Amino acid sequence: MTMDPKHFKENILLYGVDLHQWPEEIRQEGVELLQKFPGLQAILAEYEQFEKVLKTRKFEEPSDHLGQRIVSLSLHQDKKSPFGLGLFLSRLFADEFYLPKPALIVVSIVTIIALLTGFFIGFSNHSGQVLADQRQANLQEFLHYEGDVL
Amino acid sequence: MDIRFQNLDDESLIHQIQEGKHEAFGEIVDRHSKRFYSTAYRLLFSKNDAEDIVQQAFLKLWERRLFWNPNKGAKFTTWFYRVVVNLCLDHNRKKKPMPLCENMELIDEQDGQEILLDEKRKQALLDRFIQELPERQQLALMLCFYEGLSNQESAEIIGIKLKALQSLIMRAKTTLKEKLNHHFN
Repeated sequence: MTMDPKHFKENILLYGVDLHQWPEEIRQEGVELLQKFPGLQAILAEYEQFEKVLKTRKFEEPSDHLGQRIVSLSLHQDKKSPFGLGLFLSRLFADEFYLPKPALIVVSIVTIIALLTGFFIGFSNHSGQVLADQRQANLQEFLHYEGDVL
Repeated sequence: MDIRFQNLDDESLIHQIQEGKHEAFGEIVDRHSKRFYSTAYRLLFSKNDAEDIVQQAFLKLWERRLFWNPNKGAKFTTWFYRVVVNLCLDHNRKKKPMPLCENMELIDEQDGQEILLDEKRKQALLDRFIQELPERQQLALMLCFYEGLSNQESAEIIGIKLKALQSLIMRAKTTLKEKLNHHFN
């Protein structure tokens, strides 16, 4: 793409006033355009001033012990909260699957209902036992048929 | 700090962290806490809030270390920038922004004080103008200009296409330049 003064200004906004920081593919073109259109020097100077002002923005350094504090707290955190199954599951659904809280509540309730239903079905199913008893009884009947033991 | 971990790249450190190696966690905190503090500070305009957010983000990293999937392809820093940025945006949404005072009365008319207050006034104005930008423009400006990240990485952090990110930067800078020109000229 051939750069024109309009693109040059856009590139200043995108990449800054230091042409050495521009992407390699447009850097040389920018330098050549600057030489071709001396008026662009004034625009560059204007944006240099603008960037200087942006850089005067207030900044406070962090506390010296920030890193140490984080590391200490993480050790303390480990002692406080042992890793349990409930915690594991809630984090799995909340974090890995990015479920929001309402959805997480619904999934939890559905899971609990499904588990309870399964237990209920399992414990209330006597048919298996009845069949086994019946087979045993039939066998006894068969073995102890009136009169003759086979 | 353990020298074994100093030579590892970030992604290898994360593997070590996932194996429960606390020294690896210490190394990654040491390596990156200032950088992410800077990001948080520029979004929150408060040192205490920025430190809290960075602390929260790193503690989440340690607490949920097993849930980070290094195979998802993102660099650790790109991913962690996203974590910090999201925490900052949530924080800003919950907290009402402090009004920035630009009407600083001169209490002492000594030359040095006047210059100092003038500088402080300009800084306060600049902060106000930046806070007035739409959230995404602030993000784009912060990541590309103040953090010095590439346009591509900044777009990944924000979760938008490159063209969209470039549009945000241009609009942010154009708006700021107009406001600053209007106020100081």
